Parts: sequence; C-alpha cells; structure tokens
Amino acid sequence: MAPASITESLARVLSRGPVRTWVACPAAVVAITVATTSAETSSTVRLAAPAVGRIEGTVRLVAPPGAPIQSGAYPSRRVSRLTPSPSEIANVVVFVKDAPRVAALPAGRAQMRQEDESFVPRLVAVTRGSTVEFPNADPFFHNVFSLSRGATFDLGRFPRGESRSRTFTRAGLVKVYCHLHSQMSGSIMVFDHPHFTIPHADGRFVLADVPAGEYRLSAWHERIGESSKTIAVEAGRTATIEFALPVETR
Amino acid sequence: MARSAPPRFVVRTTVATLVMVAGVLTAVFVGVTINVRDRVRGAVSEKLEAGQRMLSALEERRARELSAQVATLAENSTLKAALDTYQAEIGTANAAFRREMLATIERELTKLAERIGPDILAVTDTSGVVLAVAGRRAADWPVQTTVRPDRDGRGTNYVTTRSGVYRLSSSPLALQETEIGSLQLARALDGRYAQELATLSGAATLIVSDQTVVASTLAGDLTKDLTPGVLQSLRAGADVTLGDSDYAVKPLFQDGETAVYALDSIDASTRAPMQKALGAVFLIAAGSFALAAFASVWLARTIARPIDTLSTSLSEMTASRDFDNPVKPTGFSLEVDTLTDAFNTMMRSVAAAEAETQHAYVGAIRALALALDARDPYTAGHSERVSALSVAVGRQMRLDATELETLRLGALLHDIGKIGISDAVLRKPGPLTPEEFALIEQHPGVGARILRSVHFLAPHLPIVELHHERPDGNGYPHRLRGDEIPLLARIVHVADAFDAMTSARAYRPARSGAEALRELWRCAGSQFDAEVVQALAAAMPAIEIAPLEDMRSVAAITPPRLAVVAGGARG
Repeated sequence: MAPASITESLARVLSRGPVRTWVACPAAVVAITVATTSAETSSTVRLAAPAVGRIEGTVRLVAPPGAPIQSGAYPSRRVSRLTPSPSEIANVVVFVKDAPRVAALPAGRAQMRQEDESFVPRLVAVTRGSTVEFPNADPFFHNVFSLSRGATFDLGRFPRGESRSRTFTRAGLVKVYCHLHSQMSGSIMVFDHPHFTIPHADGRFVLADVPAGEYRLSAWHERIGESSKTIAVEAGRTATIEFALPVETR
Repeated sequence: MARSAPPRFVVRTTVATLVMVAGVLTAVFVGVTINVRDRVRGAVSEKLEAGQRMLSALEERRARELSAQVATLAENSTLKAALDTYQAEIGTANAAFRREMLATIERELTKLAERIGPDILAVTDTSGVVLAVAGRRAADWPVQTTVRPDRDGRGTNYVTTRSGVYRLSSSPLALQETEIGSLQLARALDGRYAQELATLSGAATLIVSDQTVVASTLAGDLTKDLTPGVLQSLRAGADVTLGDSDYAVKPLFQDGETAVYALDSIDASTRAPMQKALGAVFLIAAGSFALAAFASVWLARTIARPIDTLSTSLSEMTASRDFDNPVKPTGFSLEVDTLTDAFNTMMRSVAAAEAETQHAYVGAIRALALALDARDPYTAGHSERVSALSVAVGRQMRLDATELETLRLGALLHDIGKIGISDAVLRKPGPLTPEEFALIEQHPGVGARILRSVHFLAPHLPIVELHHERPDGNGYPHRLRGDEIPLLARIVHVADAFDAMTSARAYRPARSGAEALRELWRCAGSQFDAEVVQALAAAMPAIEIAPLEDMRSVAAITPPRLAVVAGGARG
C-alpha cells in the first residue's frame, strides 16, 4: 500500500467523532499546562545537511463531567487494581499524520503486559516491522487476538510467565483483545515513520528530527478521539504546540 | 245464602306449611343467587389478583434473569472485539472490511440466538443505532436506526416499533470499563406471548399499548368491544362489560403506555358454582317440601283425628239421644278430653233438663187423661189400661224402646179429645143418635189439635188422631185403609176395643177377656188389624197372669166389672 493511502486511512480512523466515546472516560482531569520553550531559546537547532526541526508541546486531557457507565442489572466485571492506573495521558499518541513513508525502518521491540486483566500499557506505538511481546503477568491464562485489518491473529492461551509475540508488518491501528476476559482491550499503533511519541505523564512530549516542512500533527486517544493541528517545522528550530483532548470548542 | 263448607284441617295446615316453606326457599334462592354472584366476583378478583401477584413476581424474576442473561451475553469477547474493530474502521474507505466486521457480529449474534431462542437479539452502538440483529423476529427489528425505549429507565423497558411492542432488556458492551455499545434482548408482546400469559394466569390476557390493543386472547367478537372508553376504564382498574358479560380486570404489569391485563368473565365463572348451589337448594327444597308435607299431615291428623272421633261420638249420641252414655275421652290430647268432659257435663244437664220438662208435661197430660177418665165411672182407668195393653202388644211385636215409649204415652193420651164432648153424650146410657155419634167421631181430631202445640208430642199425634181408623176403611176421621194407618195407631185401636169390651158400661156388663178376644178375632182384618189381634192373643197369658208394672196402679182404681151391653166401638 502506498504511504499516502496509509496515512490517509489512518487519518480517517483517527478522525472519528470524539463525542461518541469520551462520555465514558473514567479518567480524572489531567490538565497540565507547561510553559513552552520558545524557538529562539532553543539550543538544539542543527544547521546540518538533513534539515530537521523539533516539535515540543503538551497534551491536555479535559475529561467531561463525570457520567458513569450506563449498565444493566449487573455491572460489568471490575477487577481490583493492585497497581494504580497509569495516567490516561499514557494512552495518547502524538504523531505526524502526513509524514512520508520511510522505506527502511529499524525493527523495534515493544511490550504489552497482561496484568490485572488489562493490557499494560494499553497503548503501544511502534514502527512497521516491530515486534510486540505479550507477557502474561497474571496468575491465570490469557489470550491475545485481533480482528483488525492490519493484522488478524490469535495467539492462543498461555499461562503466567509465558509470553507470545507478534510482528506488525503493516501500518495502522491494531486492536487486541482477550477471549478469556472480554473487557480487556489494547491498541497498537503501527507507523510507517518514526515521528510519533507518547507524552510523559505530565503531558509533555518532544518530537525530534522532524524534517522541515508543514505537517498535520495529531494527538489521538483510543476512546477520547483525535485532535489535529497544522504545524510548520523549520530546520534547526523548535516548534511548539498544545493539544486539548477532547477538543473543547466543538 | 249457601255457605260452602270450610276446608279440612289437614288442607289448612298443609297449605300453610307449604306456603311458608316456599317463602323460605324463595328467600334462600334469592339469597344464594346474590351471595354466589358476590362470592364469585370476589373469588374471580382474588384469583386474578393471585395471578397478578404470581405473574408479577414471575415477570420480575424473568426480567432479572433476562438482564442477567443479556449481561452474560454482553461479555462475549468476539462480539465486543468485532464491534470495537468495526467502530475503529468507521471513516476509512474500506467498506468491505466493515461489512465483514458486521457479518462477524451477526454471525456471533446468530450463534447466541440459536442457543437461547429470543425474539430479538441485537447490537447497537453507544447512541443506540442498531447495527446487527438476530432472533426469531429479527426481520421485524429496525436496523441502522435508533431503537429507544418508550420511557427511559433501567432494566426492563417497553419499545414500540412499526412491527409491534417489545419488552427490552439491554446491557452495555464494555471494554476496559468503557461502553462501546449495547446488546438488546427483546421479547415481542404478541399473541404468542399473550397466550403464554393466559395459560399461566388461567385468565384471558390483553396487551394494550398506547390505547391500542396489541394482542389479546379474548374471543374475536369481544375484542371489538374494546373501545377507547373501555380501555380507559381498564387503565383505571374498573370492571368492564364485554359482550353480555361482566369481566373482572387486573393489570398484570404496567409500564408507561404499555400494560398487560388479565380478564376473567364473572358470569362464566358464576355458572358452575351457581349450578352447584342451585342443585343443593333444589335438593333441600325437595326435602323440605316432603318433610313439611309429612309434618303438616301428621300434625293435622294429630289434631283432627280426636276431633273427628269426638264429633263422630257426638253425632252418634245425638242420633241415638242416648245421653246416659257419656262420650268417651279420646286420650289424644288434654284439650280435646277437656272439651269432651265439658260436652258430657253439658249434655247431662241438657238431658236432665229435658227429662224434667218432659216429665212435667207428661205428668200434666196424664193428669188430664186421668181426670177425663174419671168423668165417667165406667171409663175410669181406661187410658192407663189401654196404655199398658198397647205396650204389651208392642213388646210382643218386638218394637224397639223408642216406639214402645211413644206407644205408651200415645195410648195414655189417645182419648184426650173427649174433653170437648159433653157428659150428656159421653155418659148417655142408651144408643146414640147420629148427631151424637158425629160428635163422638170428632174426638181424635180434637185430641190431635190439643196436642199439636206440644212439640215433643209430635210422634204421638198419629196415635191420638188415627186410633179409630179401620183396615177396611170404615173408620174415622179420615177413613184410611190398611197400611195407611200407622202401626202404633192400629195397636192402640185394638187395645182400646179390648178394654172397652172387658169393661162394664151402664148399658151392659163387662165381658171376659176370652170373649173379647173372640170378638176381636171375628172382626180381625176388617175392623181390627189381624196382626195386632194375633199379637194381643199371644200376649194375653202375660196380661192375665202377671199384670205389667204399668197396670198395677190402674188395677187399684179399676171398678168392679159391669155387664157389657154393646161392642167397644164407642170406647
């Protein structure tokens, strides 16, 4: 598939209305406003031949007023958490939407544990050709399967301590589930380029070595939705940007 | 004015008792009818209420089970994964893949539906738009549009679609505590459902939604009586009239505009117990009538029989005039016996009074007769003698006591009419002139006239009036013949002649008895009744040898026998 069409389709995936899902988001308000470093004070500007720039910014999650899940007579199964839930900001990926496809990408490795009947982390972002491992940390069997177009697989059931892995060779969103625990879900974002990152817990992120140019930059959360902004990256300079999810003015 | 006889006592008591029993039974019948209907109404209402409670509990439980079922089904991982993946692909160009995901959802739904057999099993997205549907009535469920409950609420809700009314249970499809859609399990409130409820509750079931009959197990012609007004009263919980029958109504369950009612016909339910009750009433009625009839007849007999016995005794006594024998007490009841005693006492008094009166009369008349006889020494004691002789003859002829008594007194008085004949004629020693003889012939008529005023002497009148009639018709005053003359008069006639012949007269001496009898025999059949003469002849020895008690007093005043000159025709 041509890189252009991949990004296009990815953009379509990510552009679905946020309203549909943020209603149920249980996350607390994560509002982090960080003073951005100005382009002028940046010392990382490289004037070398590959004209690359740098993007810095923050992502702010604006949770709606608490609306609990509408449930039937029996609430869905909840598991007591042994570890505190990671900040929802960890489920946001910031990426350049229309970056050109990079033919040769280093194959990375990432890990998505199965812990407390959840995928931890719930979101993993990797480059094409990377392998994601799914180690089971729970004292019972888990399963990993996906129906997504980019990768349809079922890794079968495996007990604690064992791990299964899968290499993703097509860019796109792959949603993974567990047949044994139906509430479990995780997302794996596979990119054709390396210009993506998951913000820190405080919402700050840095994208370095972005080729100079004008791009659409997106912040995407699997449930809350996506926010895209245009940003101009000048070689040797740092562009700053702020995202708020969901988009407040809508 | 003719007065019809009053009814018999038994008729009275029987009629009175039966009328009373009929009245009581009518009251019982009416009471039973009203009571049975009221009770049945209560029972039907109670039955419906029990059914309502049971079905409500059952439905509540079923709803909980449905919720549990749908919640369990909502944990299907493939369904969730397919839905989530489908939703992740919205907005991409790849429609084929989305269709594939929908097909996966549908396949999963169908598999579930095959296992639990619901009317509707559907998956919606978070805004309620139906994405896929399976189940028996899947074709009736709207797809790609929103299905919203009639009333927002948790748990069971009612949904009205173009194809009918459904009861809906839904459960969210959640991933990581986030809702991605919902699973709907719907039950059509159709005829089949109504039939199921009707079987459970034992009453007709009616499902109404938004003032429209959705389903009903009532007979078709009754359903058309369900006008909006009737539906309004159903909603108010009042009994309704469908066709010709009253129906008790209870709502089985009600939610918003949708309600399920149980109806039961009071009239139809009344029929069986009413028949039973009426059967019992009729049985009791028959028994009561029989018992009442028996009791009244028995009672009437108990009262009437002694009265009958008493009145029979009384009439017998009256007929025989035998006051000396009192009516025997019946022994049936104290009252009747007291009455009998009182009657006996009264009759004794009456008899005593009557006897006294009669005795006084008889004494007076007898004195008169004696006085008359005493006018002429030749005829002194004549009446007494004739009387005794007549009784002797009567006894010989086997007359009964009453006749003998009549004979005795009649003979004593037979010549009373001579009171009107002057002594000159009566005591004339020589032959009488025809004029004198005509005077003599008047004495029977005069005697009868004198005695007619005395009521109790009526039986004796013929003797006085006819004691000179002869069988050959040559007697006086009426010239009667043979059997036209009463027997008693014939006897006295013979006795009179016999005494006349055996008594002395101024113009002739007395003849002997035998002589006189010969003379009587000679004239028997013409002048005297032959039978009587024969009886006299038969009685003669008794008269000659042992004079009767009655004659004793007479003998004392009998003068010496004088020569008899002529026949006793003048005597």
